[in-house]
Amino acid sequence: MAKRRREFRILGMTPSEIFKEFISGSTGKVAMALFIILVVVSIYALIVLPPNFAEIWNNPKYWQLNPQYAPPAWMDSVIGPVYSPQIYVNNYEYSVQQSNGVTYITISFSVDYKYDKPWSEVFVVINNPAIYNLPQPPVLSITVYRPDGNEIVLGPLPIDRRVTTLGVVPEVVGQVNLFYAEKYHITGVAPEVVGQVNLFYAEKYHITGVVPTGSSATPYIFYTVDDGKLTPLKGVYNFRLVFYVFSQNASSLINREDLEIVLQGQIYGLMGTDNEGHDLWLGLLAGFPIDLAVGLLTALIIVVIAVVIGIVAGFYGGLVDEGLMRLTDFVILLPAFPLLIVFSVLFRWNIWYAVVFLAIVSWGASARIIRAMIMQIRNAQYIESAIIAGASRMWILRNHILPQIVPYILYLLVTNVPGAILTLTSINFLGLAGSEYPTWGILLYYAEVFGALTSGYWWWVVPPGLLVAFVAVVFILTAMASEPVVNPRLRYG
Amino acid sequence: MGLARTLAVRAATLVILLFIVLFVISFALAGPASEILKDEIMMETKSIIMNLMLHGHYNSTQIQQLQTQIMTQLENAYGLNKPPVIRTLYIMYNMIVFNWGYSYFPSEYGNVGGGKVVDIILSALPGTILLDTFGILLSALIGIEIGLRSALKYGSRSDRAVMYYAALSNGIPQWWLGIVMLLVFAFYLSQIHSPISFPVGGIISPKYYNLWLTNPLKIFTIPQAVLDLLWHFTLPLITVLIINVGGWAYFARTVVLSISQEDFVTFAKIKGLPEGHIVNRYIMRPAAPSILTSVFITIPFIIFGGFLVTEMVFHWWGLGYVYNIAIVGSPVPDLPVVVALTYASTLLYIVIIFIMEIVYIILDPRLRE
Repeated sequence: MAKRRREFRILGMTPSEIFKEFISGSTGKVAMALFIILVVVSIYALIVLPPNFAEIWNNPKYWQLNPQYAPPAWMDSVIGPVYSPQIYVNNYEYSVQQSNGVTYITISFSVDYKYDKPWSEVFVVINNPAIYNLPQPPVLSITVYRPDGNEIVLGPLPIDRRVTTLGVVPEVVGQVNLFYAEKYHITGVAPEVVGQVNLFYAEKYHITGVVPTGSSATPYIFYTVDDGKLTPLKGVYNFRLVFYVFSQNASSLINREDLEIVLQGQIYGLMGTDNEGHDLWLGLLAGFPIDLAVGLLTALIIVVIAVVIGIVAGFYGGLVDEGLMRLTDFVILLPAFPLLIVFSVLFRWNIWYAVVFLAIVSWGASARIIRAMIMQIRNAQYIESAIIAGASRMWILRNHILPQIVPYILYLLVTNVPGAILTLTSINFLGLAGSEYPTWGILLYYAEVFGALTSGYWWWVVPPGLLVAFVAVVFILTAMASEPVVNPRLRYG
Repeated sequence: MGLARTLAVRAATLVILLFIVLFVISFALAGPASEILKDEIMMETKSIIMNLMLHGHYNSTQIQQLQTQIMTQLENAYGLNKPPVIRTLYIMYNMIVFNWGYSYFPSEYGNVGGGKVVDIILSALPGTILLDTFGILLSALIGIEIGLRSALKYGSRSDRAVMYYAALSNGIPQWWLGIVMLLVFAFYLSQIHSPISFPVGGIISPKYYNLWLTNPLKIFTIPQAVLDLLWHFTLPLITVLIINVGGWAYFARTVVLSISQEDFVTFAKIKGLPEGHIVNRYIMRPAAPSILTSVFITIPFIIFGGFLVTEMVFHWWGLGYVYNIAIVGSPVPDLPVVVALTYASTLLYIVIIFIMEIVYIILDPRLRE
């Protein structure tokens, strides 16, 4: 006689039946689809982000070339060419000449300016420290050939650091002002009287300042004066940069790969940037692993505590039960959020402490459910028969009780995740319980602090919240869809 | 007798809870967290010394002496020289007698009551009560109505829509929706010079602010001020409604669904009773108590969850916003305010829970016997 295969059943259903039941409703299908998306994006995030991402994120130098507060780059394709994009100039012409102990490195490239808002800055990046650390630093001179036939000569500027920011060098500001003074007779824009002169021009010619004090001169390279007003001058701009390196063997020191010219745009990346120029797309991606980890870990701790307490209380009964239920009532009543706030402030907790604390004050409701289930199962007749047959407590626990509560444990795990994520996002939004890795709540905190609301930086505010909602909704829908599985009373129609 | 005993046990539990929370906070403040206090004393001393150096003529040794003198004086004033146990008890005692001290940065709170923490918190209560009462009651009313309708049309398209809406509204952080509402209806509407736009926050216009802080009831006698308050109230209220209606609807739907599966309902249907009759007499009547009681029981949990942060986003002068100022708005965490707020929240919370439980017992006849 063939040995009958023992079937694995939970709540009278095999796993495939459970899956069918789960997927049968529309909620189940949607939940399943969203869950797959969530998993795929999280894996993608883990692959794309470098392992030391937290370090990179917190290193302002890494992001200094990016524009600050820039909307996403796809804005231009929505509203037309308004903002200049970020451009990394790599395909420039490069030539080296030497004479009298000086090496001349000439770089020329052209950009097509067709936007309303010009590039906010030009960076010259030298990646080889040997060059800018020379005893006599190299000197850079720039000539810009504008589409209207004029040319602006900028420099000579000393290149004594890795990143030279063109527009903030006083000399460059002066030269740009001089250009406007000579060509358009806007004279005398000296830095110290710039306020008064700007006022004068504002009143006389309705020109509000050429280069306002404290601002970069770079955007003004791309303007002309038309009818007394500064207007963008569109067309092809040719840049010619000449480096004077005071060294005979500079050609061996410097090579093409060491030189990078970056035009800082007004829009950036898929999701824009924040106050430090962080690429928000990467920040949002990083939120997937960290927020999921935080939510799942909290839920896991909650469920572990709840199961232990629930089993002990339900199984032993009597005084133990009474005591544990008092404790559970207590924990349910604790005002978790205010306590989380005050301890995060007092102990300067990071997010992992907050996770543990949140779990410790949130297990009450789950423990009650587990206990109620065990009480119900314990009073069943088959348990009585098992006891009469001489089964030990552990045997009953292992063979009769645990298999029945496993689906509920999973269900509780799922239901506890969204609450945990929402609470921890809220606490992050207050600037508490921070982490090295940017969570969505932390992104929102900085957005609020740096005036995203009063300045309308929607790209900084909307996506993180949407993602929090997305993750929470995935788990809520999963819980909803698994309700008919764990609660057979709901299995109808 | 049974009822009184139940209530007494409950009250005792809640008081013990309050004491434990109070003890834990005080202990944390007295023991491990005293480092923060020391840092703050250091800062205070430095600022005093700076002032002395600017306005007086002292040499460096005198300054040194003064600094140590001020430090020890301040430490004594804060009780840092006493052992932690004594300090814990001392802090607990002060909390219980509502001697909550003074804020470090009274100007951040508009100098309410000269920076007395009790006065700051009292001035924040009306705002919280206003937003929470209206927000919760209105959303419960609308939500339960929607839930009933969708449960009676179980499986229909509108029912499924309600389900998804409930899932979505439970997943969206309420305060984030507040930010989006502010962005759209306050920022962008005023950007495009729309005739109607909403304020970017605050509970009332600046000219009425002082009146609100000192005597909020008087506001309701001035028609313009009431209109102004309503204008500020609109966005927070809509935000709260959008988020909370879904949860109530889902809950009411579940209750009504489980009752409409009972045998007596089926029997009424078989008898051929009219549909409206079945709904009113056979479904609604048993569903009402359990829906209402759960409304009351969940109120404190809702208030001290999302509502606090929503107040912060809208700069709504309530407990949440005061929290925000104390944590984020101040140069260093404003400890007296944070700690007192947590204690006040816990106190308020257990009072609400106790009232709700009395209501619960009144509503549910089974508990009275």
